[in-house]
Amino acid sequence: MRIQTSEDLDSIRKKGLQKIQPGGIRIGVGTSSCGIAVGGMALYNLLDEIIQTKNLDISLVKTGCIGFCKEEPIVSVSIPGKALVLLRKVKPDDVERIISLALHGDVPSDRVLCTISDWDHITGNLVYGNEFDTFPEYGEIPFFAHQKKVILRDSGLINPEDIDEYIGIGGYFAAYKALTSMKPDAIIDEVKRSGLRGRGGAGFPAGLKWEITKKAPGEEKFIVCNADEGDPGAYMNRNEMESDPHMLLEGMLIGAYAMGVSEGLIYIRAEYPLAIERLMLALDQARTYGLLGKNIFNTGFDFDIRIATGAGAFVCGESTALAASIEGKTGRPRLRPPRLTEKGVFGKPTDLNNVETWCNVPVIIAKGALWYSSIGAKGNTGTKVFSLVGKVDNIGMVEVPLGTSLHSIIYDIGNGGALGKEVKAVQTGGPSGGCIPVRLFDTPVDFESLNQVGTMMGSGGLVVMDEDTNMVDIARYFINFASGESCGKCVPCREGLKHMLLILNRIVAGKGTRQDIELLRELAETVQKTSLCGLGQTAPNPVLTTMQYFKEEYDDLISPEA
Amino acid sequence: MSLFGSVNRMVTITINKNQYLAEEGEIFLLTALRLNIDIPHLCYEKALEPYGACRLCMVDVVTCGKTTMTPACTIKVHNGLEILTDTPEIIKHRRLLFELYLAEAPKSEVIREMAAKYGVTKTRFLKKIVHDDPLFGKCILCGLCVRVCNEIMGTSAINFINRGPYTVINTPFFEHNPDCAGCAACAQVCPTKAIVFEDSDAERIMQSWSGTAVPLATCSSCKKSYAPEKLMDKVLDKLDPAIIEELRTLCPECRRKYITRMEIGRIPRS
Amino acid sequence: MDEKRLDEIIEKYPYPAGRTLGVLREIQIQERHIPMDTLKLVSEKLDLPLSELFALVTFYSFFSLKPVGEHLITVCMGTPCHVKGAEKILETLEEHLGLSGEVQDGKYLQTTPDNKFTVEIARCFGACSMAPVLHVDGELYGYVTPERIPDILEMYGWKR
Repeated sequence: MRIQTSEDLDSIRKKGLQKIQPGGIRIGVGTSSCGIAVGGMALYNLLDEIIQTKNLDISLVKTGCIGFCKEEPIVSVSIPGKALVLLRKVKPDDVERIISLALHGDVPSDRVLCTISDWDHITGNLVYGNEFDTFPEYGEIPFFAHQKKVILRDSGLINPEDIDEYIGIGGYFAAYKALTSMKPDAIIDEVKRSGLRGRGGAGFPAGLKWEITKKAPGEEKFIVCNADEGDPGAYMNRNEMESDPHMLLEGMLIGAYAMGVSEGLIYIRAEYPLAIERLMLALDQARTYGLLGKNIFNTGFDFDIRIATGAGAFVCGESTALAASIEGKTGRPRLRPPRLTEKGVFGKPTDLNNVETWCNVPVIIAKGALWYSSIGAKGNTGTKVFSLVGKVDNIGMVEVPLGTSLHSIIYDIGNGGALGKEVKAVQTGGPSGGCIPVRLFDTPVDFESLNQVGTMMGSGGLVVMDEDTNMVDIARYFINFASGESCGKCVPCREGLKHMLLILNRIVAGKGTRQDIELLRELAETVQKTSLCGLGQTAPNPVLTTMQYFKEEYDDLISPEA
Repeated sequence: MSLFGSVNRMVTITINKNQYLAEEGEIFLLTALRLNIDIPHLCYEKALEPYGACRLCMVDVVTCGKTTMTPACTIKVHNGLEILTDTPEIIKHRRLLFELYLAEAPKSEVIREMAAKYGVTKTRFLKKIVHDDPLFGKCILCGLCVRVCNEIMGTSAINFINRGPYTVINTPFFEHNPDCAGCAACAQVCPTKAIVFEDSDAERIMQSWSGTAVPLATCSSCKKSYAPEKLMDKVLDKLDPAIIEELRTLCPECRRKYITRMEIGRIPRS
Repeated sequence: MDEKRLDEIIEKYPYPAGRTLGVLREIQIQERHIPMDTLKLVSEKLDLPLSELFALVTFYSFFSLKPVGEHLITVCMGTPCHVKGAEKILETLEEHLGLSGEVQDGKYLQTTPDNKFTVEIARCFGACSMAPVLHVDGELYGYVTPERIPDILEMYGWKR
C-alpha cells in the first residue's frame, strides 16, 4: 500500500504499535554487529526454535543495540502490563528459562540489567508498566543515567528491519509535516535556527550548507550521506544505520525536499555489510510504502536514494575524495575551491552530510528548533553520540548533550579505567585528533573547546588510554595509520608522513636522538600547514599533542649519547 | 585570455607590499610569474586544471589582517587581492618541502638546482634507494604525465598505481600497453625529465612504461620510419578531409619536398 | 569469471553513481580476487581504460590481485584493538602459520604455502567494544587473546 495521506500514516502507526506492544509477550534480541559477534543470532535462533516447536504465543524480534556494548548479548523481555526488562550477557543456556519464566510473568533475576517503565521516543511515547521494582530502573544505571537519548531513542527497542515499528513510534510524521505543510525555505530556516552542526567532525552549520546547495546554480544536484566512518574506534554511524535505518532515510527525505533535490546517495564503507543489508531492506520497505520514489505524499515531489559502497580507503571520508569514489575514480582529494556545494559528484552541486547529521533532522522538524537548541550549549546545540572504547570500564555507545565534560563521560558514564587501572589520556577525533591528558578532562566536549586543547571532535570516537599505554607508541600507531591511508597525491603527506614514521620507529626502538625529536616537530608542522586535504593537515595532531602533553615519555626513549 | 573574446578588466593587487595591475580572474601563479615575481612550482600546467600536488607554490593570502597559506595555483586575481610570497614561515615550509623532494628524487638535476636556488643543498631525510627504477630516481609523482595522457591526449595508457608512500606510475599490470600511442607527451611535460623512451628503426620503446613498444609508421616515399603509427592514426582522424591523401603518409621531410614541388608547379594541385 | 556472470553483475548497476566500485566489489567477493582477464573484460564492457581500472584495484584495500587462500583471516588494527594488544595477536598468527609479516606495496596480505589461510589487516570494522577482534571468513571473533588463536585456527582445519 502507498502511504499518501496522514490517515494512511496513522493506520500504519497503529499497526506498528500493535507489533511493539502486541498484548502478549515480546522478546527482542540485540542483533547489531556487536550483538551478533557475541552470539546474538544464536540466541535468536534458539528462541525462535522453541517458540515455533512449542507453538507459543510469543513475538520474537531482532532489535538494534541499546548501547551498553560491554553487556551484550542483551535481550529485552516485554510482558504486558509490566515494565520492559533488559537482560544482560545472556547465554544459550538461559534461553529455556527466559521463556518459561516469561510465560509466568517473570524474568531470570540473575540476568537483569534494568527495567524500563516508560520510554520517550521523542516522536512518540511508550508506556510499558511498572512492577519488577526489586530490579534497578533504567535511570539508576550510571551508564544510562547521564545520557540523553535523542539519536539513540529507538536503538535496541524497535525492530530495525520493520518500517512499521519505526512509524509506530512516530517515524515519518516529521517528513509528512515537512513535505505537506512546510515550504522548503522554512525547513532550511528551522534547521539553521536549531544550530545543528555537522556531526562528521568539521562542525559546519548544516542549515547553511543546505542553503548554499539550494542556491547553487544548476538543475541537477545530489544529496549524499557520508557513511564512510573510517576513524578506528568510531562506530556510532554503524550503530545508527543498523539499529534505526529509517531515521537516516527520513532525514534525507526532508533535506532533499528542502533543497529541491531528487537524487540521494549513501556512500557506505565496504566493511559494514550488516548496515548495508539493513539499509537496503529499509529502502525497499520505504519504497513499497511510497515514502521514496515518485510523488511522495501526493505532493509531486520525487526522491529516491541509492547506495554506493566504498572499498577500503579511509581517505574517502574526505568530501572531494568521496565524490571521486562515487564517480568510480580513486579517492584522491581535489583542490578546493570549487567546494562540493558548487561542483561535486559528476560536477553537480552536492550537499554532503554525515549519517548522524541527517539523523538529527527528523527530531528538529518534529519538535522544532527551539526544543532542539535548548539541548547542549550555546553554539553547540543538540546531542552527540560517542563510542566510548579502549581501556575504559563501561564500553559502549554514549549520547550526551554537547558541552558535557570529558570527565563526566569517562568517569560518570564510563566508570573510569578498566580492570582498576588509572586512566591516563583520551584520544578524540580519531587519527585527526589528539591525545588529551587527564588533567584536561574538565574540557567540555564541544567543537571549539576541543580545538583549543589541540584535538577535535571528529566523528565521535573516544579511545581511553591507561597507565600501561605508551603514548609515543600511540603517536607512531597513528602516523603509521595515516601514512598507509594517505592517497599519495601531495608531497607533504606522502613523503612527510613516511619520514615521520621512520623517525618514530627509531624513537620507539630506543634509537632516537634529540635531533630526531626536533626534525619530527618540523615535519609535523610542515605536513600540517602544507598538505592538500584534511588527512594530511590533521595527521600530525597525535604527534603534536603527545609531544606537548607527554613530553617525558619521549625524553625517556631518547638515547643519552645524543 | 585577453586576446580572444571578452577582455577581462584590470584590477589592483598587492604583492609583498607593492601594488600591481593584474587581469581579473587570472590564476595568481601565472600573474606573479609574468610580473617576474618568483614562486616555485612543479605540478602546474596551463593546459590542465590546477592539481595541487607539489605544494611549492604556497603563498600567504592576507584578508582582514589574517593570513592564510594557500597554493597560488588556486587563487584567482580579484580587486584588492593581497599576497605575501616570502614570509619566514613560507620559506621555512618551502625549504623543508625541498628536503623531502631531494630525498624522494635523489637523481634529479632539476630538483637539485631548484632546491639550491631556494637555499637547500642537502636533506636530513633518508634518500630513496634507486634500484631498477623505470624513472631513474627522478619522479616526483606530480601526475603531469598521467593527466596529459588521460585528459589531453585521451589515451589513458598510464595511471597511478597503489597509494600513499607506495604510489608509482606505470602501465596496467606493468605490462606493455597497446593503448599507448607513443606520442611521448608524457616525456615532454615531465618537469624532471624522468621519462625515458627510445626510437629504433621500427618502433618507439617507452622504456619507462614497462617497455611498451609502439610501431613507427614508415614514410611512403623515403621508406624511413618517422612517427608512431597509433599517433598518426589519432592525428589523421582529426585532420580536415580536404587534405590530400598523398600528404598523409609522408614524413615531415618528404612532405616539405612534396609541398615545394606543388608550389612550383611540378605536381598538379587537386 | 565467465562473461555471462559478469554481465549479470553489471546489470545490477544501471546508474553511474557507485557503479565501477560496485561491480569490482562483487567480482572480488565472488572470485576472491580480481583476475586480470576479468578486469580486461570490465574495461571493455564499462568502456573504461584498463589503466584506470588497475589504478582502482591497487588503490583500494578491498581488492587483491592475488587469490586469497581457503580461509581469510582479517585482523583489526584499529585504535581500541591496538591499545588492547592487536599487534601481539597478529604476531601470534604469523608465528603459528609461519608467515613473514611482510607488507607488499602497502597491502598486508599473506598466504600460507599450502594456501589454506590468508591473513590480512583491516582498519576497524566497528566492533570496538569487543577489542581485539578478528574475522575468519566473515565470522567475527571478539575479546581475542594470543592463547585463543590456536583454538580458533583449529576450527578451520589447522593442525598444531
